[in-house]
Amino acid sequence: MLVIKDLHVKFDNRDREAVAGVSLTIEDGEILGLVGESGSGKSVTAMSIAGLLPRKQCTYSGDILLDGQDLLHAKRSDLRKIHGTKIGVVFQEPMSSMDPLMKVGEQVGEALRIHTKLDRQARKDKVIKAMESVELRDPEAVYDKYPHELSGGMQQRAMIAAAIITEPSLLLLDEPTTALDVTIQAQILELLKKLNAERKMSMLFISHNLNVVRKLCRKVAVMQKGCLVEEGLTDEIFLNPQHPYTKRLIDAIPTRIRKEGS
Amino acid sequence: MMKYVLKRIGMLVVTMLLVSFLTFLAFELISGDPARSMLGTNAPSYQVDALRHELGLDQPFFLRYFKWLTGFFSGDLGISYSYRQPVWDLIGSKLMITILLSLISFALIVIISIPMGIFSYQWGGGPFEWIRTSFNQLCMAIPPFFTGILLSYVFGILFRVFSPGDFPDLYEEPGAAFLHLFFGAICLSIPRIAMTTRMMRSTIVSEMNKAYVRTAISRGNDRRSVLVTHVLKNSLTSVVSFLGQTMAEILAATIVVEQVLGIPGLGRFLVLSIAQRDYPVVQAIVVILAFWVVLAGTLADLINQSIDPRLRLGGDLA
Amino acid sequence: MKKKMNRYLVVGLIITGIILAITLIGVFWTPYSPTAMKYGRFQPPSPSHIFGTDNFGRDIFSRVLKGTGTTLSIALATVAIGAVAGTTIGAVTGYFGGVIDELLMRLNDVLTAFPSILLALLIISLVGPGKKYNVVLALGLIFIPSFARVTRTAFASLRDMNYITSARLMGAGSGRILFVHMLPNVLRILLPAITIGFNNAVLAEASMSFLGIGVTPPDASLGYMLSEAQGMLKAGPWYAIFTGLSIILLVFGVGLIGEGLQAENREVV
Repeated sequence: MLVIKDLHVKFDNRDREAVAGVSLTIEDGEILGLVGESGSGKSVTAMSIAGLLPRKQCTYSGDILLDGQDLLHAKRSDLRKIHGTKIGVVFQEPMSSMDPLMKVGEQVGEALRIHTKLDRQARKDKVIKAMESVELRDPEAVYDKYPHELSGGMQQRAMIAAAIITEPSLLLLDEPTTALDVTIQAQILELLKKLNAERKMSMLFISHNLNVVRKLCRKVAVMQKGCLVEEGLTDEIFLNPQHPYTKRLIDAIPTRIRKEGS
Repeated sequence: MMKYVLKRIGMLVVTMLLVSFLTFLAFELISGDPARSMLGTNAPSYQVDALRHELGLDQPFFLRYFKWLTGFFSGDLGISYSYRQPVWDLIGSKLMITILLSLISFALIVIISIPMGIFSYQWGGGPFEWIRTSFNQLCMAIPPFFTGILLSYVFGILFRVFSPGDFPDLYEEPGAAFLHLFFGAICLSIPRIAMTTRMMRSTIVSEMNKAYVRTAISRGNDRRSVLVTHVLKNSLTSVVSFLGQTMAEILAATIVVEQVLGIPGLGRFLVLSIAQRDYPVVQAIVVILAFWVVLAGTLADLINQSIDPRLRLGGDLA
Repeated sequence: MKKKMNRYLVVGLIITGIILAITLIGVFWTPYSPTAMKYGRFQPPSPSHIFGTDNFGRDIFSRVLKGTGTTLSIALATVAIGAVAGTTIGAVTGYFGGVIDELLMRLNDVLTAFPSILLALLIISLVGPGKKYNVVLALGLIFIPSFARVTRTAFASLRDMNYITSARLMGAGSGRILFVHMLPNVLRILLPAITIGFNNAVLAEASMSFLGIGVTPPDASLGYMLSEAQGMLKAGPWYAIFTGLSIILLVFGVGLIGEGLQAENREVV
């Protein structure tokens, strides 16, 4: 269970707080959608949870507890043990998020190499299994490929495989489908749903697109200018948005799609 | 991979042909009538014609270029105007010395600046950053011939470790010759080491800001293991290209350093031959030096292809 | 943060400013005549001759002043030729692209095969050694390609920017777009390139004069003086040391300016 209490983050070179008092809870096995436009603080929130804040260039306060363990104020060395074991992260641009010079298989198995004492072959077996679970076709071949040899959808599947390979209790998804085209986007959403159902893994899904969130998340939180403006069950918020900002976000979805989804 | 190597070697051949043709053309344009200038303005014209025939200058331009080119690859570089000897006999041993000098310098640059680049990244920032940067700029400002003068004063005149201007025979006293070349390499490499270190460091810094570094950290890498397992390899291609270009600058600097320390290499002979307007010699040396540079560039490209699979597609790195 | 970055610029400007000021004074007044041979041979540095004298009994400080002036003027003229011609070529090829671009880039590739000093040596041997203007010409020519390469990339990347497209749509001519809209942005890259080019020019001129194919008497540049000084190393090492240090200080000062300019650029980005 992830609990965020009164999170504040302010970067030294900005006047306004990037995150101004956010409190959130993600129950075990739950997918929470976090929505807002760029600059709303949703990605900074995610980076705070992931322990990827540039700590020297910002001030922060509050608590982030994953299964009772403090993440926000944890020592770097403790964070490193959490990275890739309890938390997996998938980023927006799969191409630039992968090391261009390392074989895909090795990148998928990197967390295993760092955190376990498995030998090369055992790691490879696990990597192949993880690749199969994210429905990457022909995993043996993909293992020895370089990122630029894969399509965008395959790259993102590989990134998901890398994030879940150590079976973390929390998966952070920072706009994982934004850079992909619509059909691939739908496939990835299906995959995430399946993984959530099979593995009971908690997920935080960040997007600027409320419609995408609706397809995946039972609960959603809406952020604007660093603050949480609305939170609740996705369907209820869609039918009856309370905050004008949420209304605007819903109105921004083209009508045809809005009807299709309901 | 093999296909790419062949393609790259094909490009190398084309560039070398272009280089040699341009050089030949340039000398055709500037040299005027070598037969006349060799014999002096007072020589009777039948003598000049005879010499011209002897030197093959009465043949058409392209035929001469073709002959020169085939000669070049079979070791026949023509006849020196000043010495009336085959050019190859004059420059063979000098070429060896220049190659040794530039290889020693290159080795010094690689061995020192790559670790220095990594360290200067590791120690980056902090209150003494500006001192390091200024020291780096200072080293870049030291001209090789000045270092050469200082070294010949301190180690040549004061301590008599070597005698500048009196180069020991490479085969009879290899140790002393090597020491002499080593002093030359020091002069050459100080500013280049500073440049390469700086380049290496800024490459690491820009790689560290890339998205894949964040991914690596999210998997549990610390800064150091990110550097070792991801960033260094990604920085390497830029550094290899830079080192390939450095070869050209090393060669340019050998000309001066050979002059200062009295190393009988190609550069020194080149300066002499330019002063004497000994065009066959100048031409041969220029083409040899240019080939060396093109070869270094090709090697750098091939090394980069073995590092970066994206380059094997044949396109440039975007 | 900003202040720390600027330190290079400030220190560089101070060093270069002082050198410029002293050199400028040296044009009109030197403590002694730089060519008069009457101050006693090989006097070590002393209050009356702060850099000492050489084997002809000339005052080295006065010679260094004049020599710095020569070196500076050659380097400035060289960089001016290289920067103006190179930027023009870079603007045309980068902005218009096409066949000319392709051709010039190939030519550039071939030219990079020749070490720069080698090219300068060849041009000098063509136009005749020993004259100041020929040195400027030769060096200026070999600096054109590098300036062209740097500015070409900058112009090409600006070409597709929105504000350039909108300027074009509003009917601005190519000349206006290139010089009014693009050049100020290219300057950001051009200025550090000029400082690097200047330093390369100083070092190249010094190398050539040192080799005896650059400036020759009665003109004296720092490089020529160093080659003179090498012959007097045993009896008067101070000649070489002070002349060499002058070159280093000059290049160091301008190098710091370049460092500062690049730091400024990083701040903006």
